[in-house]
This record gives sequence, structure tokens and C-alpha cells, in this order.
Amino acid sequence: MTGPAVAAATQRQVRPLTAVLQAFAEGASSLDEISLRTALARDVVQASVEHLTRMGRIEAKELSMGCPSGGCGGCASGHADGSSGCGADGPSVDRRGPVLVQLSLRRPGD
Amino acid sequence: MIALVGAPNVGKSTLFNALTGSRVTMGNWPGTTVDVARGVWRTTRTRTCDCETCTCGPAASTEMTLIDLPGAYSLDPMSPDEALTRDLLVTSAADEAPDLTIVAVDAAHLSRSLYLVAQLREQAMRVVVGLTMVDVARSRGIAVDTDELASRLGCRVVALHPRLGRGMDDLTVAVHDALDEPVPEAREITDRPAHDLAPMDADLVREDERFGFIESAVEASTGDSGELRASLSDKADRWLTAPIAGPIAFLGVMWVVFQLTTTVAAPLQGALDSLFSGPVSSGVSWLLGVVGLGGSWVDGLLVDGLVAGVGMLLTFAPLMAIMFVLLALLEDSGYMARAAVVTDRLMRSIGLPGRAFLPLVVGFGCNVPAISATRVLPNVRQRILTSLLIPFTSCSARLTVYVLVATTFFGRWAGTVVFAMYLVSIVFVVGVGFLLRKTLWRTMGAEPLVLDLPPYQRPTVRLTASVTWLRLKGFLRTASGIIVATVCAVWLLQAIPTTVDGSFGNVPVENSVYGVTAQAISPVFAPAGFDQWQTTSALVVGFVAKEAVISSWAQTYAVDEPTDGTNPGTLGEHIVADFTSSSGGHPLPAVMAFLVFLLAYTPCVATLAAQKREIGLRWTLFGIGMQLVVAWVSAVAVFQVGRLFW
Repeated sequence: MTGPAVAAATQRQVRPLTAVLQAFAEGASSLDEISLRTALARDVVQASVEHLTRMGRIEAKELSMGCPSGGCGGCASGHADGSSGCGADGPSVDRRGPVLVQLSLRRPGD
Repeated sequence: MIALVGAPNVGKSTLFNALTGSRVTMGNWPGTTVDVARGVWRTTRTRTCDCETCTCGPAASTEMTLIDLPGAYSLDPMSPDEALTRDLLVTSAADEAPDLTIVAVDAAHLSRSLYLVAQLREQAMRVVVGLTMVDVARSRGIAVDTDELASRLGCRVVALHPRLGRGMDDLTVAVHDALDEPVPEAREITDRPAHDLAPMDADLVREDERFGFIESAVEASTGDSGELRASLSDKADRWLTAPIAGPIAFLGVMWVVFQLTTTVAAPLQGALDSLFSGPVSSGVSWLLGVVGLGGSWVDGLLVDGLVAGVGMLLTFAPLMAIMFVLLALLEDSGYMARAAVVTDRLMRSIGLPGRAFLPLVVGFGCNVPAISATRVLPNVRQRILTSLLIPFTSCSARLTVYVLVATTFFGRWAGTVVFAMYLVSIVFVVGVGFLLRKTLWRTMGAEPLVLDLPPYQRPTVRLTASVTWLRLKGFLRTASGIIVATVCAVWLLQAIPTTVDGSFGNVPVENSVYGVTAQAISPVFAPAGFDQWQTTSALVVGFVAKEAVISSWAQTYAVDEPTDGTNPGTLGEHIVADFTSSSGGHPLPAVMAFLVFLLAYTPCVATLAAQKREIGLRWTLFGIGMQLVVAWVSAVAVFQVGRLFW
């Protein structure tokens, strides 16, 4: 249950985490979009997402657009540190250039 | 005793060093293996007070023990370090607990750092917030009103610059003032979970209450209420990730990439082709003649096989290099992340799992790692569906065939034709995905997904060059290995006669095992307009790997061409002649049908091996059958409709 009881409580005060999860589930496709939809500061959204990741409610996967070394010549995604494979648990500190962080919603039981 | 806590990387250790100087000892905290630094903090009350009766009085020296606890984001023990922080601050006996806790808070990431403060304020204890990174925050346009923040948090807040020693006196005064006052009450929890809530939801209510507390403090002290400062990057993203303008922009960008690739690479390709078919072939033949092997089977294998096949591959090196440079520039600038948003939206619109976009994007480079990347999907049905769709993504090995055929038949429109093949690839993924979703997996739910977009940035020469080199090296290494192996296999099959007239290595290619097998299969492609056996044989070799299609084509025509030196013809001329003949005078629809078939049928044996590993033999065989049916039906449809117009 993520719904009625939590939603009822939401009406009493600002609930940033619930608001972020809701925006997420309604199809927001970037953190800026979540910020616009929820009217929360970008910094609060960022911190909320990080906290939800720690709580296991969402999952973050970092995709560097660099090619894995020794891998296929045309691979569009690889580990941020350049090692072989696709995607890395992220965000990591070994970023090379712009990095796309994919976040996905995890529900209880996933 | 004063405790110093804070999340990692907020400048806590710098603050500790600034307060204690060299008066520090390191060691395990009793009963644990956690390293804790202890120091002596000598303070003087530097701010004199003008009141007459208070105790702040004249400056006086005091010594306090300062302990630097390990970096902790929260009091929820996720590690021994955090467990110690929690034990010491929250659960220890009153005589063992610190008298006051200084929390180092990063002003540039206020919301993240305040979580620990929110938790500590739930206890009756003295807390002082030391605001670090104030200069970094200011450079980002974030100005924190420390008085307002203190009022919201219910504790003193001091702005610090430990490296320059700024704010240390204010911190000293704040700590002494707090110590002089009674221990403050815990903050009021405004929302508690109901008793009947599931543990996970109860957690969410508790955490939400803390974040509500943080949000109100941040909004009040920084004035940031969620209205984004519209930077140039934000404005660009509103267009580049918009539902309609985004895909149009993406298609426009990719069209420019392919147009530039084919236009710029064409003269370089021509020069390399002339080099290999001329001086290099002649040189190798001459050398073999010198050592007495001219006209032998070795001559056939080296000149008609390896030089023709590998030479043809190398003519594509400039083309691939240019494309890799352009793609690296797009990636390095941050644009490709926006393209992922557009792709993700397409996935969702047809009901495919959003997360499938990752393996599918990888598939445009190479299908093999893309199949492995399906492991990011949590659901077995999603993995099977995505693995079956990946072969329809047009990998870079297929690009070489597109370019050769497109430049031969479509001249200056070659870039547009190659671009169109990528569109057809997307149509196949979407169409087949939609059909499978409607037939086999009607109950599979779509999953929401959000992308954190990096800011745009100026591409760097170093990164672009390094990524391009890595990819080009990978392409050449993989392709050359495959080509050498298939050239030898094709040569062997072309050397074995099927009639008693010929002998090994001395047989017309159409009478060899290779030629006869291809001729037996080729009628299947008559409805698609390309039933010449040379093309059929190239497609059969392409089952092994698409890199080998052109080399085996070149090898077959090289062996087949007249040996008397009169008008041997280029590979392009041979192909034009054959397509014109097999299509009954409609070469363009036949070529388009051929390209569509090449795109849709089995990519390579390595992909099949990866599929078998990930989804099992049964689904792999289903995939092969499905791809062949889709490829053949589409090719026939393209030719039969196309011949009505061209």
C-alpha cells in the first residue's frame, strides 16, 4: 500500500518524498520536471531522490555514454570508469564527461 | 566533550583541523574498530559583551575535548561508522554523551546535509550547525540566511570558512552560548505514522515528515521555492526533450550525422579502394610471382580473399572514424542523454518497459552487449521481449553494407538512405514490440522511469579522441578477426568442386560448393527482386557476421571476374549489373528490399549465442524464425510495391 493512508496524511503538510514518488509514477522524465510538477526546490528533489534510493524505493543506475574498453566498437553505454559492461550503480565519482543517471521506481516485493 | 558530525565530503575534517590544530590523537573508539580522532579545542570568548550582569564577561580560555566522528549521512546505522555515531549521540548514557554536537552542513547541498540535523533535533540535545562551503553555494547563486535557518531548525547556525579561519570566533561564541543554556527540547514531530500502516509505508511517513521539516527550512532560508532559474540549458531542454519537437530535433541531428559521415568519407573511401584494388593487389601478386606462387591457390587465397576482403573493410575505417567522432561529440556535449529521454518516451508510448531503452540504445552499437544489458530488467518477460527486439536495432556492422549499397545506387542521397535505414530499424522495434505485447505478453505492465540529465558542456578534444579511438579500434579488431576467418572459410568452399570436371582450387566459382549452395537458396529471394546467387551467398555469410557480407561479396566477384585483365569492373559495377538483371529492370526497389532484409534477419552468431545464454534455446529459435519471416515479408512488400513506382 502506498496509497490511501499515505495520501490522506499528505494533505496535512508538505510531503516531499511522496510528492517525488507521485511525480515519478505519473511519468515525469527528469529531475527538473519533478521539480516543476511538485513545486519543490531542485536541491530538495535531488536530496529526496537520493534518500528514496537509500530507502530502496527507487533504483539508480548510472550510464556513462563512454565505450567500455575492450568491448564492442559501437557500444553506446558503458561503465563510468571505462571498464567493460553496461551501466554502473550510480552516481559514482569516476565520471567521464556527461553522465546519464537512470532512476526507476521499485515497489515492495521487487 | 563536543562531538563533530556531518555527512562525508562536507568539510568536516577541515573544520576539525582548524579547531584543534596539531593537538590530535587517533585511535579506535572503545569496543569498536571505528577510527575516531580526538583533539583539544582551546577557545577564548572573543566577543565581549556590553551588558553589565551577564556571564559572557571578559575573554577567558577554555579547553574542550573535540571528537571527530566518522562521516554519516544519517543516524540510521548502515555501517559500523554510522552505528557508532548513533550509539554515541542518541543511545549512550547521559554521562557518556557529548555535551554538544556540532553538525557540519554543506551550504551548496543544504537539503542533503540537513537530514542529519532533522534527526538530531528529534532528541533533546544541544546542536550547533556549522555551515561550510558557503563560498561554493554563493558562486551557484545560493545565499543562505543563517538567522532564518537557525529559527527554522531550532538551533544556532554559523557560517564558516575553515580553510581561511573565518567564522571560528562566531562558532566559539555559539557553542559557549549553547552550553550556558539548558538542554533544548526535542523538536515537535508534526506527523506520525498510523499504527495500522505497513512498515514500509510507516517509514515513508516518518521520512516524509523529516523532509517536510527540511524543505520548509530550505525554502525559508534560501528563498528557493522550486521556481527554477531558467538557465540556457533548461531552455534548450524544454525544446529538445519536448514530446513533438524533441523527436524532430533528434531525427534532424541524426540525419546531419549520417549526411556528414557519407559526404566527408566518400573521397577517402574511394582513394583507399583504389589503393587496395590497384597497387596493393598488384604488389602482393608480384611478390607471390617472385617466390613462385603466382597463379597458385595461395595467390587466390591472399589476393582474391584476404586483400579483397580486408581491403574492403579498411576502406570503411575513415567512415566509421567520422561517425564515431560525431557521436562522441554528441555524447560529450550531453545531447545523447536528451536523446535517451526521447527514446524512453517512445518505449512507454507503445507500452514497452521504460528501462528497455538502455539495451535497445546499446543495440545500435552492437547487439551482443545489448542482449547482456537486458539483465537490468527485473522481469523475465521483459528480458525475453527486449532480447527478441534487440536484433532489429541496426548495429554498426550493418552500417558498412548500407553505405556501400547506398553510395553505389543513390549517389548524393546516400546519407539520407542510411538515415532511413535507422528509421526503419526503429519502426521494426516499435512494430514488432507492439505485436508481441498484444499477442504474447498482454499482462506485462509498463514501468515508470526518470532520467537525471547532466548539464550541457563543451566537448573536449581529449575525451572525444579517446572515445573515438576506443570504438574504431574495437570495430577494426572485431571485424578483421571475423573477416579473416570467413574469407578462409569462403575460399575453402569456393575451392571445392561439385562436378568431376574441376579439381580442388581450380573450379569456376558457380560450380563450387559455395556457388551451388547459393544457387539452390537464391530462388527464395526472387519475389524480393534480388535472387542473384552472389547476393544470396553474401547474405548466408552475413548470418555469421554482417562485417563479412562485403568481404565475401568482394571475394566472390574477385574470383569470378575475368582473369585476362580486360575490364575487371569494380564491386559497385558488379552489384549494379546483378541487381538490374535480377529485378527485371527495377534495381532501386530491389536494393531497398535487400537493405530491409539485411536489417531485419539474424544479425550474427554471436548475438544468437548471447540470446541462448540469456533467454534459452527455445526463445532463440523463435527469434530466428520471427526475424526471417519479418525480413522476408518486409523485403517482398518493399520490392513489390516499389516496382510499381520505380
